[in-house]
Amino acid sequence: MTDPVLSIRNLNIDYIGAEKDFHAVKDVSFDIAPGEFFGLAGESGCGKSTIAFAVSRLHRPPALIRKGSQILVGGRDVLSLTDDELRRFRWREVAMVFQSAMNSLNPVLTIETQFYDVLKAHTRISRAEARTRAAELLKLVDISPDRLSSYPHQCSGGMRQRIVIAICLALNPKLLIMDEPTTALDVVVQREILQRIDVLRKELGFSVLFITHDLGLMVQVSDRIGIMLEGELVEVNDAQTIYRTPQHAYTKRLWASMPKLHGEQIREGAQS
Amino acid sequence: MTLFRQLLSNKKAMVGITILLIVILVAIFAPFLTEYSPVKRVGRPHQAPSWEHWLGTTRLGHDVFARLVYGARVSLAVGFGAGLAITLIGTVLGIIAGYKGGVVDEVINFFTNMVLVVPNLPLLLVLAAFIGQASPLVIAVILGLTSWAWGVRVTRSETLSIRQRDYVKSAEMLGEPSWRIMAFEIFPNLISIVGINFIGSVIFAVITEATLEFLGLGDPNTVSWGIMLYNAQNASALSVGAWWDLLAPCFALAVLGLGLALINFAIDEIANPRLRTGGMLNRWTRMVRIGEGKL
Amino acid sequence: MTFLLRRLAFYLAAFLAAATVNFFLPRLMPGDPIQIMFASAGSELSLENLNALKLTFGFIDAPLGEQYLRYLQSVFTGDLGRSIKYFPLPVTELLGRALVWTLGLVGIATLLSFCLGTFLGVMAAWRRGTIFDSIVSLTAIFSSSVPAVVVSLIMLFVFGYQLGWFPNGYAADPLLDPGFNWTYISSVLHHGTLPMLTMVIVLTGGFAVTMRNNMINLLGEDYIVMGRAKGVADSRVMLWYAARNALLPTVSSLAIALGTVLGGSLVTEVVFNYPGLGNTLYQAIIARDYPVIQGQLLIMTAAMLIANFVVDLSYVLLDPRLKKA
Repeated sequence: MTDPVLSIRNLNIDYIGAEKDFHAVKDVSFDIAPGEFFGLAGESGCGKSTIAFAVSRLHRPPALIRKGSQILVGGRDVLSLTDDELRRFRWREVAMVFQSAMNSLNPVLTIETQFYDVLKAHTRISRAEARTRAAELLKLVDISPDRLSSYPHQCSGGMRQRIVIAICLALNPKLLIMDEPTTALDVVVQREILQRIDVLRKELGFSVLFITHDLGLMVQVSDRIGIMLEGELVEVNDAQTIYRTPQHAYTKRLWASMPKLHGEQIREGAQS
Repeated sequence: MTLFRQLLSNKKAMVGITILLIVILVAIFAPFLTEYSPVKRVGRPHQAPSWEHWLGTTRLGHDVFARLVYGARVSLAVGFGAGLAITLIGTVLGIIAGYKGGVVDEVINFFTNMVLVVPNLPLLLVLAAFIGQASPLVIAVILGLTSWAWGVRVTRSETLSIRQRDYVKSAEMLGEPSWRIMAFEIFPNLISIVGINFIGSVIFAVITEATLEFLGLGDPNTVSWGIMLYNAQNASALSVGAWWDLLAPCFALAVLGLGLALINFAIDEIANPRLRTGGMLNRWTRMVRIGEGKL
Repeated sequence: MTFLLRRLAFYLAAFLAAATVNFFLPRLMPGDPIQIMFASAGSELSLENLNALKLTFGFIDAPLGEQYLRYLQSVFTGDLGRSIKYFPLPVTELLGRALVWTLGLVGIATLLSFCLGTFLGVMAAWRRGTIFDSIVSLTAIFSSSVPAVVVSLIMLFVFGYQLGWFPNGYAADPLLDPGFNWTYISSVLHHGTLPMLTMVIVLTGGFAVTMRNNMINLLGEDYIVMGRAKGVADSRVMLWYAARNALLPTVSSLAIALGTVLGGSLVTEVVFNYPGLGNTLYQAIIARDYPVIQGQLLIMTAAMLIANFVVDLSYVLLDPRLKKA
């Protein structure tokens, strides 16, 4: 078996309060294999985004990753990186699509500059070369290179989301984290974007950590799925098992609470 | 009520409230704090601070300490009186403009923006100059009438967002009259904005009253901190070395301003949790330092 | 472009409002408005001169509407009447001379304190909860809550009288001839230091608090987190992702703050006996020189409106979302 791209062991994250701490993530461990599409599901506030932020160490006080936690990306201990190593590690190894498509791009910089910022931070590249590279990346997500000189507010929500994905691919990361990337978009665009990610994943070979509360959507795209409840990872299984024979009571309850829109699911629901 | 309880657990607010309480107590119990009358000649002119005259005397031989403690009454009265008027006008117009929308909103908004771009102090100077020697009451009234615009602006923009909330929508569906919605559904959600507006207006009124009086637009027979500054400046207190005459009211104004500003800052922190720092961050820093974890 | 045109129209309306206040105020006062306006002149004015003054302020034998138009005509042709104290000096000339000093003082002080305050606010927000943040916040609260008159007097007392480092008045050594030479310029700088410092102390705190709060409100935004996630250098995220966006609301609050700035400069000039508008005005108030007092409102309003327009322009430049058409 190959080494996992992401390996999380005994991850504990607290939000420090004036008197009491809030335990957001409790002793979570899981692995993601190269090229794997891994889903993390649970209600909002269950700690799934907190895990995503911890992988790139994006947290701000009062969040605290407790001692004894371990996060390995490609075998490298993320929690022991120095500031400068951490800066170079971010985006090169792990890129991330954030919750709100509308808000992930800096409103006062052109699309081109936002590509250039990444490329300049990690490679020796001239402005002209960066522009060429950015145009290539935009082509991957079917956006015309003319858009490079636009500002984010001139693009639609779906287009901004695809631009973010293109920026994510700029450095060929090993892992792409998607933190509820499609909640602000309509269903059609949602599906389109996930399909595109899947195609790109097979083409470029990165792994995906996909976070959502929409279990139905997740089952359709993921290889394996982890279910979180109040900071704990209660079940990890391949997507089919989660779908057909969920083990944990909470997973079953999650299914039961889903709106049964697809014919398939109604049948399943009737069986259980 | 919760706002008040939260204020009591905020360190900045506690310091601010303590300062304010001390000034209020001094104002109330002024006659017990000093044996001198603030308007009578009780010593030789410009005596330095001594056991008889704690803060010295003015050029006219008035006791500076007596004038200071009695003057607190005027500063507080003008500050809170004008502050209340400013807040009242600002809040009412702001809620109406934000909730009613349409022509009403446009008219109110137009006048608000107009008042905002006409510089306040120069306008007040013209008003006060025509009125002649303005008493503290007159100053409070003209402050109340000319300084409400900022309050309208912030209240209006907050109302615009509250108007969209579900409970307002449902009250509308139930056919509640609009004044009830404004008073009972919208206003309670504006408490912290109104609080900030109020304290900010009090600070503004205290400062502006002192400024107008210092510039010679006040009634020179008033016992107030602004008139103390005016008299001291006219008596060239600094150049004759009578620093106590000028610095005493300076100090009082600075302390009152600071106390009020601390309260305001604290309300802001309570209303907007993102601005809060305090206990949790201290604990966080300590835990990182002892190696309990990292970011 | 329409945005700027709309603003211009609005400013014209605001200026008209200030002129209207000036027109009606003496007429609303109990008693004879002419008596009120020109009382302090006594009998020194010749009948001819008094009539000219009355004409400027619209005191003509005609209905109110016509009087109003007559007054507006004077205002918009730049005739603000003549000072009564310094008769026959035109108000525009008297205030114009003073305005140069005030604009220099206010302009530089605003620029300095805006830059300094914004910078401190950015740093404090970025290092929220640190000792640096606490010091900046507390100092800022203090500086923004103490009246300009108090700061001026304390500065004058400490640095002017006690330490004697700086002169106690005037814009330059009165014995020097004004000219473009180093002796004169250095004298101007030396005399301007204390008033300038006072203004910077009074103004910086407010700008720092505003910028800090605006920036903290933005720090949770996805584009800032994404900037960090991209591995972009910390300083670039701070300046170009966070501060650059937080600057927009700060600039629009600058427009409102300008009124306070002008107010603060008036008092500061009086305390330091600086020959700007504030001091000229102070003399006018003592002498109840109404044409001058009214004139300053119009000139201050005009200055404020021009400054607001500059802020509007810079807003359009700063926010790409306003630029499209």
